[in-house]
Amino acid sequence: MNSTYYNSSISLKQNVFAGVHKKRTIPFRAILSITILLFLISILSCKKLVDISPPADQIADDNVYTTDGTAIAVLTGLYTDMSKPGIFAGIGSISLLTGLSADELTLYNGVTSPSYIGYYTNTLAISTAIGSDFWGPLYNYIYKCNAALAGLNASNSLTPLVKQQLMGEATFLRAFYNFYLVNLFGDIPLPTTTDYQANSQLARTPVSQVYQKIITDLKSAQGMLNNDYLDGNLQPYTGDQERVRPTSWAATALLARAYLYNGDYANAEAQATTLINHSSLYYLPSLSDAFLMNSTEAIWQLQPVLVGHNTEDGWTFILPSSGPSDGDNGNPVYLSTAQLNSFETDDQRKISWIDSVTVTGTTYYFPHKYKSATLFAPLTEYLMVLRLSEQYLIRAEARAQQGNVSGAESDLNAIRARAGLPNTTANDKASLLTACLRERRVELYTEWGHRWLDLKRTRNIDAIMNITTPLKSNGMQWKSYQQLFPLPLADIQQVPGLTQNPGY
Amino acid sequence: MLNQEEKVTVNFKDTPLDEVLSFLLNGKNLAWTYSDDVVVIHKRMGEGPKKTETAEDSTVTPSLLTGKVTDAVGSPLSGVTILVKGSNQGTTTDMDGKFTLAKVANGEMLIVSSVGFETRSLVVRGRSVLVQLNVEVSALDEKVVIAYGTTTQRLSTGNISTVKAKDIERQPVNNPLLALQGRVPGLFITQNTGVAGGSATVRIQGQNSIANGNDPLYVIDGVPYPAQMIGVGSENIILGGNPLNFINTSDIESIDILKDADATSIYGSRAANGAILITTKKGKVGQTKVNINLQQGWSKVTRGIDMLDTRQYLDMRYEAYRNDNVDWKSSDVTANDLKLWDTTRYTNWQKTLIGGTAQYTNINVGISGGTTASQYTVGGTYHRETTVFPGNFADQRGSLHFNLSSKSINQKIQLQLSGNYMVDNNKLPRSDLTSRAVLYEPNAPALYNTDGSLNWALNPSGVATWENPLIYQLYSTYSNKTNNLVGSATLSYTILPGLDIKSSAGYTNMQTTTFTPIPLGAIAPQRRASTPRTATYGNRSMTSWIIEPQLAYQKNIGKGNFELLLGASIQQNNSSSQTINGSGYSSDLVLGDIKSAVSIRPEYSASIYKYNALFSRINYNFQNKYIINATARRDGSSRFGEKNRLHNFGSLGIAWIFTEEKFLDKSLSTFSFGKLRASYGITGNDQLGDYRFLGLYYSTGLDILPYQNTIGLATTSLPNPYLQWEKTKKLSLGIDLGFWNDRLILTTTYSDNRSSNQLLPYMLPSITGFSSITSNFPATIKNVSWEFLMTTVNIKSNTLSWNSSINLTIPRNKLISFPNLEQSTYANRLIIGQPLGVTKTFHFVGVDPASGLYQVADSHGKPTTSPDYLTDLTTLISTLPTFYGGVQNNITYKGIQLDFMIQFVKQKGRNILFNNDRLAPGEFSRGSSNQPTTVLERWQKPGDITSIQRYSIESDALATIYNATDSDAAYSDASYLRLKNLSLSWQLPDKWLKKASFHNSRIYMQGQNLLTITKYKGLDPENRSITSLPPLRVISFGVQVEL
Repeated sequence: MNSTYYNSSISLKQNVFAGVHKKRTIPFRAILSITILLFLISILSCKKLVDISPPADQIADDNVYTTDGTAIAVLTGLYTDMSKPGIFAGIGSISLLTGLSADELTLYNGVTSPSYIGYYTNTLAISTAIGSDFWGPLYNYIYKCNAALAGLNASNSLTPLVKQQLMGEATFLRAFYNFYLVNLFGDIPLPTTTDYQANSQLARTPVSQVYQKIITDLKSAQGMLNNDYLDGNLQPYTGDQERVRPTSWAATALLARAYLYNGDYANAEAQATTLINHSSLYYLPSLSDAFLMNSTEAIWQLQPVLVGHNTEDGWTFILPSSGPSDGDNGNPVYLSTAQLNSFETDDQRKISWIDSVTVTGTTYYFPHKYKSATLFAPLTEYLMVLRLSEQYLIRAEARAQQGNVSGAESDLNAIRARAGLPNTTANDKASLLTACLRERRVELYTEWGHRWLDLKRTRNIDAIMNITTPLKSNGMQWKSYQQLFPLPLADIQQVPGLTQNPGY
Repeated sequence: MLNQEEKVTVNFKDTPLDEVLSFLLNGKNLAWTYSDDVVVIHKRMGEGPKKTETAEDSTVTPSLLTGKVTDAVGSPLSGVTILVKGSNQGTTTDMDGKFTLAKVANGEMLIVSSVGFETRSLVVRGRSVLVQLNVEVSALDEKVVIAYGTTTQRLSTGNISTVKAKDIERQPVNNPLLALQGRVPGLFITQNTGVAGGSATVRIQGQNSIANGNDPLYVIDGVPYPAQMIGVGSENIILGGNPLNFINTSDIESIDILKDADATSIYGSRAANGAILITTKKGKVGQTKVNINLQQGWSKVTRGIDMLDTRQYLDMRYEAYRNDNVDWKSSDVTANDLKLWDTTRYTNWQKTLIGGTAQYTNINVGISGGTTASQYTVGGTYHRETTVFPGNFADQRGSLHFNLSSKSINQKIQLQLSGNYMVDNNKLPRSDLTSRAVLYEPNAPALYNTDGSLNWALNPSGVATWENPLIYQLYSTYSNKTNNLVGSATLSYTILPGLDIKSSAGYTNMQTTTFTPIPLGAIAPQRRASTPRTATYGNRSMTSWIIEPQLAYQKNIGKGNFELLLGASIQQNNSSSQTINGSGYSSDLVLGDIKSAVSIRPEYSASIYKYNALFSRINYNFQNKYIINATARRDGSSRFGEKNRLHNFGSLGIAWIFTEEKFLDKSLSTFSFGKLRASYGITGNDQLGDYRFLGLYYSTGLDILPYQNTIGLATTSLPNPYLQWEKTKKLSLGIDLGFWNDRLILTTTYSDNRSSNQLLPYMLPSITGFSSITSNFPATIKNVSWEFLMTTVNIKSNTLSWNSSINLTIPRNKLISFPNLEQSTYANRLIIGQPLGVTKTFHFVGVDPASGLYQVADSHGKPTTSPDYLTDLTTLISTLPTFYGGVQNNITYKGIQLDFMIQFVKQKGRNILFNNDRLAPGEFSRGSSNQPTTVLERWQKPGDITSIQRYSIESDALATIYNATDSDAAYSDASYLRLKNLSLSWQLPDKWLKKASFHNSRIYMQGQNLLTITKYKGLDPENRSITSLPPLRVISFGVQVEL
């Protein structure tokens, strides 16, 4: 009984043991087809399964323009960026570098940076890439405008007024950037989309067509931008107004300038007049108040964004008691003798807008339009981008060009009066135009490259620089082609049909 | 007795009946006899002690034989087949390794066999036998883990290497990767720092990607594991760390390194850099065992550098001033080391700062056991490692590992569950003291003032003249607390004979918090008024889960075996990191509390990675002679642009075991195994970071005042919806040979990997708004390597055995094409025809005998002190290894076992000659002025011929020191031969153990990095750094007891 004999049902006919239970057949086909079905589903959904939402700390481009808050933040990001040290503010700015290239600023002799020396001595060169500094950043700003325009255009979930204002801001900014590109480099490629493949094939557009585009953009921006200053949520201010977002008035101001530069004097006058007539908002304050934050002269300002700083221009131009210095955080420039000598004797701007330090017997004069360069000083000044006095000067020049002598005189005198100067003695078109140019020099110095651009557009550059350049560069001669800055070599090499500016 | 309901499905062919019966009746308490056409299965004789007693007296079973089968160390083996030779009688052992057989007469022969053990035969004498089986020697048949399955080296078509637990356990290392160094052909691992928890660089068959990740894919029990940490807080001291630090080495059963396309293509876009599969320990059938392992060790820095002593240092300084005609005593000369510091002091800073002995403690307790139905193992480990730095620092970790596996009675449902959890608390100084140890001036001030306070060596105006290194010990520390969980589960069900459906699921979660305070005491006294106390708090979370349903089918077709695997993979990783910098605390006591900070600056990043694939493998094995293995994968990854998200990968591997051919069988009797294998396939690399294809807007917030009370958004790069993986095509050819019954196995592999479609910044004209776009680029890198592995059984007897293993790898890396290289950002960093990472250097021509300055050759070969960096960098130097490998020996004599491993690497590396922070010999810069004693050979007067330039106080003025630093003389041979590991263990005699009722116990000694032979001029030839602590030498003693 110990062992149970069990006759196995295992078949040994072949050497193969196979499954023996036939009763409960497993629905093999069913399982297989379910499995295959599952696989098919996963094939179909494969692409979906790897779709990801953007990271929590970043926003994908197609989502940015779906809500008012993020869409506004994109344009706010551009102003923030412009206000940081860069091509628009501080040590590497258009104001500083073109001031060195022209006759406004003197480079401290302790400065070793080849870049500053290149701008100062008018020896820009393609091999050293000096002179191309503004090209890439300006196109980066233009890309951001084009991306914003495309995103805003495609969005239908924004509040209509927000969308309109932002489209206006982006269009205005694109014109602003193109204005500097065309003035610094001449004929330029004119990208209007974000398509990098198309954009990297763009050749130059002639200056006149660039201006046409600038004017078209500005006119369209005028129509879209609000007439009132808006706050960070694009709502009208309830308390004190800040003039740190472009309004339709900013578009008008730049449009007046664009018409003037383009020789369309009637339109220049008309645009400047609308601004000057809007005296409830804009009027000339005293010299010492002109550059304060939200000054009544300000058409558009940039709010400082570095912790503890007022404007970057003040930070750079105002010399400390130790005088000018080299280095990344240095103060490498001071006002040139030529600039100092261009003021009339009683010009109050010489007192209010210029200061000096004396270091071991040498006195350095420096621009003092912005007065604060103390870390953590209270915020009192904003970086002025567009201001009323330029509009008077635009209209004066436009009127002179059109033969309106008395009109031109009265505009010039408005500016001169604030500076404590007697009325102008110029009394015909030619003398008025000279007077306008001179007045611009003493009014707008070290601001936004006005001097360099004025010399170029009035074709006075060769005459002035033939004298100035040798003084700055130990006798080296001015070469007329240097009035246009060189394009970066990499772009010339990569874009078929993009030619270098002549001379380089 | 026999379950009528039980269904068994087996598939045997050409298999002896005894084996079939043994398989079927294993564990069932049944025995068998058969004649020509009848099989009789009956209950085992004499089950249970009582029955045995009666049976012995019984006349029914006059010759009943009882016995027990154990392994070499005495553990019972169940399921062993025992056959009586010449008869048709047989049985299997039960769970206790015991068996009984009826009708066996003395003088008959028993054949005892079990899978994985050498078959033994013995003649029956007496009524009870004890049989010990040795593990089968042939390495060819050991299990090799591959992607979604296992194979053996004999039948594999791919290039795979395996390192087993016995080799990993012998090494006192805290990162399992470090246990692989020198052991695997084609795998090169560099330990970048000797600091516990530090980073390691792992390359399988070289560097494939120019700009993106080159890490292998790590898979732990089927669950992908991160290869890199995302950055958080300040982690300089551990160089970013390495995720594998949080896997306990003693929990690992085996590590398999998958190298070629045949083995890795099934991992698709993650496998271009190979794969490392880690399998953790599993329970085994048998009695419950408790294993206790205690280990205590000590570690130190392996080598020092000879630096100047105080006399030599001061002489150098004085001579430098003389050479430069400067009177150091003059009041306008600042020379704190000569004027303010005590010039009679001497401190050996290497001894003081990195010369300590670190403690190494490891306590491991494991319990395992199980029945044939379910097995389990549970283990806990406590590990503590201190540092060689002065101060009270330690990396402490506790970990728990478990594994459960279970089968249903009908064997159709199988469940496997495993988990690893580790809690790590790493406390270190904030900064590695190695560079201070090397470069501090020998007469630098005393660490403490006489009153016991820290000495800042203030000058008369109250300014510290040095940085006291003890601030890092006492004040400025770094702590990293990490919790790491790796869990996986596999459930499988056999639908039909040969058809299994299976799903595995895994989850990993790593949470780290770091804390780096800088209290007042760490700030120089003169800066305390103006410098706030700060603290950095880091928080990191890395989570991933994966689900992989699979269908496996197996069938005999024709004369071969066909296997099909179909599967899908769904994976998601979430990671985020948060760093908060606080400053302006009122007291050191509140540094741990973020609320006490006056101002805080947060940083945050988060990312998601989704991954999805379908895969299949087809394997056909024709009579173990011809094997063909094909894999395919369709793969989608969220790291790629929506226009290019899915792609196909695949491979084909073939093997011909020509020793199975009849024509070879007899002619070569010494030739026991021969296999030719070849594979070719495509793999991908998606280690490029998440979201690279998207146009993203970032907050412009950090350090910026809000504009109109709004934080702006800005985009920083161009989106590229066409972004896709880097592609590596891998060709592998190999021959595996076995001689003298596989006592010598020689494996040779040639591989040719070509990586293209490189993801690089593609230069764009700036009129597009950006200067580049990340884009796939038709640059190609070729990695060719020869890998050799020879394993031998040199001696094998009952008392003495000696096994060896030698491996050698000869890699070559080459950039073979890069269209428009000159116009790319890589123009200065890459050269076509040269390896990646090649450096252009000046050719050093010594010191100008006239001026005493370093000279290098210009492009015309003429010596110059002012070379042109554009044209004169003519000598190319590559620091990639030219060959590397290891020699391993295992010698066992009775209970004594000796293992040692020698690692060798042939390579060049940056030396210390000019690498002293680029200071000229003679120059003083606080805390980094000491020089190696090689500078004593300096130029002293015109006409001197030497290779060290004159002492000088000013490197800027000379600039020649920079030329020398960028010359070929700054590189020298960094090859080394290292006794990487030595382990000696002694098995305690049985009679001792019996008294204590222990089973299997040993005491042992282990050593790591014991001896290094090198000509390298620097600290350690492995990490070749003076800023990071070199890998340490560890010696440990331990005892292992099994209850």
